Amino acid sequence: MSVECAAPIADETLADYWTGDLAPPDAAAIEDHVFACSACARRLDAVASLGEGLASLARQGRISGVISHALLNRLQRDGVTVRLYTLSPGDTVPCAVFPGDDVVVVAMRADLSGVRTVTLRATGPGDVTVAEIADVPVSSAGDVLWATPGAVIRQMPSQHVHLTLRASDGTGVLGEYVLDHAGTS
Amino acid sequence: MLAVDASDGELARMVAGRTAGEAEEAEAELYRRFAFRIRLYGLRHLGDEDRALDLVQQVMLVTIEKLRQGAVRDGNQIGSFILGTSRTMAIDLKRKERRRERLREAFRPHATVAAEPDAALDLDRVESCLAQLGERDRAVLFLGFYAECAAAAIAGEIGISEGNVRVVRHRALARLRACVMASRLTA
Repeated sequence: MSVECAAPIADETLADYWTGDLAPPDAAAIEDHVFACSACARRLDAVASLGEGLASLARQGRISGVISHALLNRLQRDGVTVRLYTLSPGDTVPCAVFPGDDVVVVAMRADLSGVRTVTLRATGPGDVTVAEIADVPVSSAGDVLWATPGAVIRQMPSQHVHLTLRASDGTGVLGEYVLDHAGTS
Repeated sequence: MLAVDASDGELARMVAGRTAGEAEEAEAELYRRFAFRIRLYGLRHLGDEDRALDLVQQVMLVTIEKLRQGAVRDGNQIGSFILGTSRTMAIDLKRKERRRERLREAFRPHATVAAEPDAALDLDRVESCLAQLGERDRAVLFLGFYAECAAAAIAGEIGISEGNVRVVRHRALARLRACVMASRLTA
């Protein structure tokens, strides 16, 4: 039996409920509605399903791009094998990915005081851009974390990868770093 | 009347006062309609799949038994009855879990990754659709749906207001869902 809902809950509110952003009385009201309304229950199921998909990808280390310390902490807490390389400006670091590594995180230290957002550019042999991430908000932690799934790095040949971190407002280079990628160990 | 055409209240009345085996079709339909809602409630309040599935089994068992005994007064309120039972049992499960957790803390050397049932969602598709989102959109989605950060905490992490986090999350989720659905249609 399929019945349309006379007063459907907005998708945004369902997402707020699922992520725990509603006050308890509001969350309880959503639950009351969902247990009385199959249409909204199905829509909540769709939100939850995508949320579970995201969590599954993260737990498998299938996470790319700039990540926050909160996300790194959660990955480590969940037992995801994170290979972490920490670089200061000017560093060249030999790096490798090991068979059990789920995700590789490069922590680029820099003086980020007064900087709100940065742009990260990664270049390979011949100065070819392999990744460029613009307007990344920076935290007070003093570094930028760049994550790549271990499975992706295992496919990469041995090469030098140059990383350049710039302030998005064009005030200049915050740090340059080199990963001397030796392939899979 | 076929169970599949019945309202929730009619289904409850079909089961009420019957013995095991007399209203199997109605019981199965009741399970089909409510089990996933109890699972969602369990995931939201108990935090993992195993405990959510335990909750489903326990709540549906109690519901069917109470209906058979004629102990549910108003069949039209069956949804409220199931939600109330879910709330009570989830509290009980959490209490038991806290006791187990105290014991486990004493012996567990490190956290392990839980097995991931890949349900109906194609993770490759979700991953490919995620790659099409912007950096900030992905960060908000992972922080909210995986790291379980509230909007206020995400706002602090990525330097936008709490209200903006919700707007970004809503739009990113809508784009992700549209992409996943479109890929499903063309697959």
